[in-house]
Amino acid sequence: MSIITDINDGEPLHISRSRISSRVNKTGSWRYLQPVFSGGMAPCRIACPVGTDMAEMIQLTSQGQYQEAYASVLNENPLPAVCGYVCDHPCEASCNRTHLDTPLAINAIERFVGLQGVYEPTFLDLQSRSSNGRRVAVIGSGPSGLSAAYFLSRLGYSCDVFESEAEPGGLLRWGIPTYRLPRKILQQEIARIQNLDVTIHCHQTVTTEFLQSARKHYQAIFVGCGLGRSVPMQIPGETHALDGLAFLKTVRQGHGTPMDGVSVVVGGGNTALDVARTLMRLGSQTIILYRRRIIDMPGFEKEVAAARQEGVQIKELTIPVKIEQQAGKITVHLQGMAVMDHKSDDGRPSVQPVQDETETMQVARIVTAIGAEADMVWQPFEDQKAIRLSLSHCALTGDEFPIIYGGDIVNRKLRVSDAIASGKQGAMAIDLFLQKKRPDIEGDIARCHLGPGAGISFAHYMAGGNSQPMVSRIVTYDGINPAYFLPAMRLDPAVGNSDNEDLSFTAELSNYTSQTAAKEAGRCFSCGVCTDCDNCGLFCPEIAVFSDENRRIDLDYCKGCGVCVEECPRSAMILQETGYETGA
Amino acid sequence: MKQVLEGSQAVSEAVRLARVQVVSAYPITPQTHIVEAIADYCATGKLSARFMCVESEHSAMASVIGAASGGARTFTATSGQGLAYMHELLHWASGARLPIVMAEVNRALAPGWNIWVDQTDSLSQRDTGWIQLYCEDGQEVFDTTLMAFRLAEQINLPVMVILDAFLLSHTYEPVDIPDPEQVDSFLPPLTPKIRLDTDNPYALGQMVAPNAYMEMRHDIQQAMQRVRLQWVKIESEFKNGFGRQYGEIEAVHCNDADVVLVVSGTVCSTCRQVLRDLRRQGEKVGMLKIKMLRPFPTENICTILDKIPKVAVIDRNCSFGVGGIFAQEIRSALCNLRPGPQVFSYIAGLGGRDITPESVVEIYQKTKESNQAEQESVWVGLNPDI
Repeated sequence: MSIITDINDGEPLHISRSRISSRVNKTGSWRYLQPVFSGGMAPCRIACPVGTDMAEMIQLTSQGQYQEAYASVLNENPLPAVCGYVCDHPCEASCNRTHLDTPLAINAIERFVGLQGVYEPTFLDLQSRSSNGRRVAVIGSGPSGLSAAYFLSRLGYSCDVFESEAEPGGLLRWGIPTYRLPRKILQQEIARIQNLDVTIHCHQTVTTEFLQSARKHYQAIFVGCGLGRSVPMQIPGETHALDGLAFLKTVRQGHGTPMDGVSVVVGGGNTALDVARTLMRLGSQTIILYRRRIIDMPGFEKEVAAARQEGVQIKELTIPVKIEQQAGKITVHLQGMAVMDHKSDDGRPSVQPVQDETETMQVARIVTAIGAEADMVWQPFEDQKAIRLSLSHCALTGDEFPIIYGGDIVNRKLRVSDAIASGKQGAMAIDLFLQKKRPDIEGDIARCHLGPGAGISFAHYMAGGNSQPMVSRIVTYDGINPAYFLPAMRLDPAVGNSDNEDLSFTAELSNYTSQTAAKEAGRCFSCGVCTDCDNCGLFCPEIAVFSDENRRIDLDYCKGCGVCVEECPRSAMILQETGYETGA
Repeated sequence: MKQVLEGSQAVSEAVRLARVQVVSAYPITPQTHIVEAIADYCATGKLSARFMCVESEHSAMASVIGAASGGARTFTATSGQGLAYMHELLHWASGARLPIVMAEVNRALAPGWNIWVDQTDSLSQRDTGWIQLYCEDGQEVFDTTLMAFRLAEQINLPVMVILDAFLLSHTYEPVDIPDPEQVDSFLPPLTPKIRLDTDNPYALGQMVAPNAYMEMRHDIQQAMQRVRLQWVKIESEFKNGFGRQYGEIEAVHCNDADVVLVVSGTVCSTCRQVLRDLRRQGEKVGMLKIKMLRPFPTENICTILDKIPKVAVIDRNCSFGVGGIFAQEIRSALCNLRPGPQVFSYIAGLGGRDITPESVVEIYQKTKESNQAEQESVWVGLNPDI
């Protein structure tokens, strides 16, 4: 402390002034709260069954680092381009930006990022373990099987994938029409997985005998066979109806022929909608019959909307009760239904036939898509006693030899994203089973869960993080400082100028240019992720925030005021109690 | 050139011509027009200054303290509750000897919420070490603001330029706005006596022990005592350039008066009209306008009021438990005169209630007719129906 005398027109002007640096005053000793750079979890990631780190992928995209964004997304998702086309993107529904204006176009950004690897295949050095010499058989090359093989090979296992069809992809290839998922995209994504230690054997129908002999050659089996057999309606004349999945497969194989007349499709799921939209493309007027109401349909909302926009009629609260065929003409007898007050076991409203509400329809063809089930060979799985462990996306059987069931035969929700989650979870479960003597599979996997969501972090597992839980602080909109964000219009990929209103099998979704992708990505709050904006440093009254190599706090001077945390636009910091240790 | 301007705009124009470098403020009625215009000048380049939007008046004053410590010419404006919120930092500004100028629009304090004129807000801050200058009309507001920068920078104490809510802040009057060159020659750029310097670093406002604190406070008191002399010099220079001066107080018809009305702010204009009317009727009435409350011009006031039998102080404020604040000041200034005038204290016009010529006449009559001044303030114009 010193008093300096200044001369003010011959009069003294005393002010307290000190040339001793105020750094002698270690204000850190005042601190009882401490700011910590601690990433938070964005709600989009929690909503994603795959567990994709959207915040990182989008931030890299906004910086024009598209290859890095691609590498980031591949950490958790083996099929980003496929998801970019077919996912129902629950991430967008939970986007914090919704509270300011409109959610980020996360699905379109993922499509853009995923396409980086399709159009410009590059060598990516994914985080992987070296080969451990062990072999795993994967049954089925649909999204769950491909996912399991992808993650298992990164964990050091050699995988053989067995596919009964002529080409790999499962439902992605045979079930999803090309206007929703272009052929080339799927082929490239599968090719990338085949570059790992994954061999896909087509035309290999798996039998009980095959499963028995597989035990000799493999240390574990992952079963992702899907639901290959349609559920019958069990009504008279059912043989006159076409099977929905078989119909889609025929068209996908290139055997679709122009069709006229009226077609009737029975069912309310995505397969029924795919069948109906495909029929429209082949030239047939199409009517969907659904036993409940349109709002109860299990198909994705956007698929229902697209189908109706294309001219598909939906006759709700109606079921076929009898089919007759005479001289090439099909007559369908219909029964009207009514919604009951009580709900059925699965939570959906119950329906019951209404007396006298019957009619008949003359149609050219009737296709059923009311659901599917696993083939006979997988019936052992139906024996619930055989299940040793039931996880969110797969089930484990076997005491000595692990067989993991995943994909649609286990999942409650039959989405591609859930199938991918199955493969990831199954790969981890197999690894834990084979690596540890007394594995706590459930506990170890739970520690890799992303918050309360279904998603699991493979990166966390690879980092040995299954011994300690993930950081699970969820960043809600309350954690966003809206002073730093202005409303900005959502940019969706431009739709090509199509004067041609004819429906076609070419991809209906368009893609971003690099410029618009980066611009849309720039709208992201980056919830819980430090973007090096340096707001904390700017506001710190003690100049105690440093960003030399890593951003850090100088605890000698941080007095724990918390201004940095308050002014962080995106909740990438938290304020913690420290006890009463001094900063000196 | 004469322009028809609001009192608020007169302040803004003075700030523009003073080439202020940093302005920080938080909006509050009835002050908002002042900083609104300044923000516009900054945005359109009419004034090359940094305008800092802040989240409170406390931060507004803290910001200008910071800028003034860096050697910048600074300005802020506030009113009522906003001024009350600044209180802690008002002490800091004067204790740190920073030449900050602030426009203060007199507004009643809540509750009940009231945006109209009342002097209790600025008078609550009379002990903060700020020079306080009360204004009567738009021209005086403009002139006083310009001179305030000279005074503040000369003495190294902050100055509050005070104007009545609405009656002055929102009333349009012709105001003579001089050319920038003329103002520049009267008010050159600030040569700061206190200025933080990154090449020669030091810290300000450090801890001061009992061995030195009292001397720093004595300095401030001495600086206040030099204000009156400086004011005379500044005003005479201002008069040379612009032809106007106001004095720290103004005495009207006081030489032969039996009763002198002591007033401040816009009531002065009302009082001038009453004086004219009463003088025509042969009444020996005078008026003393108090422009400078801090430092209080005791010596001049004593000289003028020494031989006056009765003084009636009209206060648009109240220090609860005592009464009118100007009356206290006058009484304390006159207390050593023998015999000295009797001081009558009146409270009127709180919270924007009009002080009409009729109420001023009533005050004059009451004073004239009573033989003994009451110790308590007399409230004028109370509504018997409430």
